[in-house]
Amino acid sequence: MHEPVFTKTMRFSLSAVPFLTLAALLALFVGNGPQLPLIFVSQWVPALGVQLAWRIDGLSVLMLFMITGVGSAVFVYANGYMRGNPQRMRMLVLLALFMAAMVFCVCADDLIVLFLGWEATSILSFLLVGFQYEKKTARKSAQQALLITGGGGLFLLIGFLLLAQQGESFSLSSLIQSLPDLPRTPQLYAAMGLILIGAFTKSAQFPFHFWLPNAMAAPTPVSAYLHSATMVKLGIYLLARFDAGLDSSYGWQLCLQTTGSITAAWGMVLVLKERDLKRILAWSTVATLGTLVAFVGLPGQHAAFAVAALLLAHALYKAPLFFVAGNIDKGVGTRIIDHLSGLGRAMPWTASAALLAGISMAGLPFSLGHVTKGLIGLAKETTTVLSIVPMTNLIFNAIAVGVATVAAVRLFWWHPVKTNELGTVQEGSFSMVTPPLVLAGCGIMCGIFPQSLKSLMDQAVQATLQQGALDSLPLQAVTDFDFPLLLMVLILGAIFFFLWDLLHRIVDAVVNPLLKHVGAATFYARALAALPGLAAGFTRRIQHGRLPGYLATILIFCTLILGYLLWQARLYIQQPPLSLNGSAWLAWGAATLIATGAITAATVKSRLTMVLAATLVGYGSALLFLFAGAPDVALTQFVVDTVFVVVVAAVLLTLTKISPAAVPEPGWRPGTFVLALAFATLITLLLMATLSQPFSSEIPDWFSAQSVPAAHGRNVVNVILVDFRAFDTLGEITVVLLSLVAALAVLGKSRGLKLSFPHLHQQNNTSPTASIVVEVAARYLYPLMIAVSLFILFRGHNEPGGGFIGGLLAATASVLWAIAKDVPASWQRMPLQTPLALSATGLGLAAFSGVPGWCAGKEYLTHLWFDLLLGWTTLPLSTTFLFDLGVYLCVWGAVGGYTLHLLAGGEPAENLVVERSAT
Amino acid sequence: MMPALVCAFWISLAASLYLVLSRDTLRCVIGLGLMGNAVNLLLLASGRLQYTQPAVVPPGESALSLAANPLPQALVLTAIVIGFALLCFSLVVVMAIAERSGKDDLLLLRHTEPEDTAPVVPSFLEKEKETP
Repeated sequence: MHEPVFTKTMRFSLSAVPFLTLAALLALFVGNGPQLPLIFVSQWVPALGVQLAWRIDGLSVLMLFMITGVGSAVFVYANGYMRGNPQRMRMLVLLALFMAAMVFCVCADDLIVLFLGWEATSILSFLLVGFQYEKKTARKSAQQALLITGGGGLFLLIGFLLLAQQGESFSLSSLIQSLPDLPRTPQLYAAMGLILIGAFTKSAQFPFHFWLPNAMAAPTPVSAYLHSATMVKLGIYLLARFDAGLDSSYGWQLCLQTTGSITAAWGMVLVLKERDLKRILAWSTVATLGTLVAFVGLPGQHAAFAVAALLLAHALYKAPLFFVAGNIDKGVGTRIIDHLSGLGRAMPWTASAALLAGISMAGLPFSLGHVTKGLIGLAKETTTVLSIVPMTNLIFNAIAVGVATVAAVRLFWWHPVKTNELGTVQEGSFSMVTPPLVLAGCGIMCGIFPQSLKSLMDQAVQATLQQGALDSLPLQAVTDFDFPLLLMVLILGAIFFFLWDLLHRIVDAVVNPLLKHVGAATFYARALAALPGLAAGFTRRIQHGRLPGYLATILIFCTLILGYLLWQARLYIQQPPLSLNGSAWLAWGAATLIATGAITAATVKSRLTMVLAATLVGYGSALLFLFAGAPDVALTQFVVDTVFVVVVAAVLLTLTKISPAAVPEPGWRPGTFVLALAFATLITLLLMATLSQPFSSEIPDWFSAQSVPAAHGRNVVNVILVDFRAFDTLGEITVVLLSLVAALAVLGKSRGLKLSFPHLHQQNNTSPTASIVVEVAARYLYPLMIAVSLFILFRGHNEPGGGFIGGLLAATASVLWAIAKDVPASWQRMPLQTPLALSATGLGLAAFSGVPGWCAGKEYLTHLWFDLLLGWTTLPLSTTFLFDLGVYLCVWGAVGGYTLHLLAGGEPAENLVVERSAT
Repeated sequence: MMPALVCAFWISLAASLYLVLSRDTLRCVIGLGLMGNAVNLLLLASGRLQYTQPAVVPPGESALSLAANPLPQALVLTAIVIGFALLCFSLVVVMAIAERSGKDDLLLLRHTEPEDTAPVVPSFLEKEKETP
């Protein structure tokens, strides 16, 4: 197949990376390597104490050798395995990224950095398990692996943070050093528990073990690399690291030994359940991981040697066995062992690799497996252990022998009579048989020359032990033959091998129904299935879609919080003086008006009455403002209220047309009443408490004193609006204009009209609804009202009035014209033909009025004054007037636009002629 | 004068909340308007009502004396206009909703949060058909 040069170059350079790293490692550490540990630190997040800290000690070096050594084999193998597959490059890139993450992880000395690497391996594992994403099983397995290892990663993060908080450092090495002396607080126990969960999920310990066999949906190179040799060892690596600080802790030992032994035992039982070669290997990996955890939990240096040796040995025999499984899969087309036998003749190289790996796995002499077995025996002898550990270890060894013989003998040299059923069997290509041969050969070589591993093992063990240098690798012990034990294991192994099919049937019959009901995988599936329902139920309860309910929730919450706070604060409330002079009577009159209006509006059934009653509240407030010495506010309120009643009446008309039936709501809602009253009472109490505080009149006094000298205006309220706080006002009229724009968008869409500035037709000027009296009156009233509004605008600076009130009055004139004639007529009678343009012009004018002062070197919106000499008198002119005119136009346009649109909504649709004029 | 103002505030706030909590869209919006009104009263009250003379400097003088506090008045004045714009916007939205859905009952407006129907079954839980 033709392959572009670029891809080929990329592929080879990617594949070269692990080799180069391995070569660098060998160059560094073989012979007299540098003094370990190597430490590099650079700052990362100094504010949080997080550093880019790297620390390479013996354990890291061991892991690095495994990562790069197996990695080199995997890259070669993947090149062959994926030949002709268009996804080959993706696989290589992901594997390279994974390798980088692993290196990152085992070299990190900072908890956060370690965690990042840890999570990166989880995510890359997800991508690699789901590599054949078009298959549903791959997707499901990938999801499972991610949920379990990623979820465990979250536990790990919390554990790390708790630990960092307790040990006051993010540095892994210093934390582990101080771990024995840290006070045994509940937080520390929680931290260690969470870290254990994180490590157990990663290393597939019971009860999180089931994701690993399912991850066999991944292509073979991935299984060999991630799920046997490296990633699943990360949990062991972390435990071994922490073991240095917790070696003598009883709880730690107990926890690791029990979990590890249960995992090992359960994994071995489930090995027998499987017929798929890869899944068989996966379960035996689970069992090995369990054994590793159990031995990390054993105290003493011999256990540490056993762990280090088993880590390496397992990588050197399990990865080749996965490659063998891959070769069989490719060459035969199936991995189901029932259909496989006597492949030795057709696949001699693969068979040899399987044999070499099998020898090591079975722990036969002259293999690394045998060295490991010797160390394990030593560890069991020299330390007091739970009786469960040696027992499970014995069975583990026996089943390992069984699995090794199945993989190495049964598939290749057994039942040769059935070969013809298999069809053509193809031996793997050169790049597919070399990696398993080399790796398995390494396993044998290390077994023959165990002294070659001496410095690697010594340094790895030293890193996992708290005290400094101890004895070195007990070479004598590991090369001795323990014949009785060997014989026993071999016999047991032989039994397992010969009875494999029988055992398989028994386990299948017993375990399968059991697993269906109480297996961890079943619980996982049930939890996953229950999750959406739980989330949906929760969401439906919280987000029920009823607005009154939402508002009530907010109000109840605020009432409770506010009530509690007020009760706690024990606010001082002064009895307000109840003087009953003339103005007080007037105020009480207005208040009665407000109260009557409010109560009527809230309780009356008819909507029209409600609107009228609400207007009463507005007029009452206006009166109150008037009596309180606020004529500008009172005027504004009067005008707004008048427009309000017209607009709401128009909307009411529309609504009644759309849904004539009243909303079926009870007239009296006691719960709502209590809630409303409670919240209102609390706010009122708060107001009274505020009023009981002494008042500082500093700010109003400043405005009062500066109004005439600084701003040349006697109406202080208007001066504040247009001068002192002009920027605020500018913002406010912008809001008014923008709300109109938004409203136009809503209306335009709801009516199916384009949002444009249309010129209106004059054809519907004879509205049948308009009364002749109103029309004639309006003809004279309209100019009069505009004139009055202008007058109010211009006198506003010195007398009550101003742009806001003037603009509102002008809008009232537009409303009058709309009622007298029709909406389009009124629309067209506005300056600039459209309310939006008018309003925008006003805003522009107001914004521009600040520019001259700005150009004169003052702050923006500082107004300028100058006198215009007219001969007989001088006319004071100011940019203030420009600003107020802008406010006037903006308010006229916006409020007028709103009212016209809402009034139009009340008219029959055919009267709404809003389209472009004919061109 | 202050007790009257506080009483008016109390009652109008309670009434406005009662209206806002209604399921009738129009009532809800009117309640919003009344609430704005009540808040304006609160603003005015918090500026104290020491004097009731309008805050206009008499001709010939250069500063206010014994006049109402102008600052809350300025705030309330703009608040009224903005409150009215907000009210109009709400009315526009109410009208648009009513025109599109034909409903003005808030409990029936469930376009974005529909009534729950069948139990939710995400796609990844569907029965597996593919054989491994």
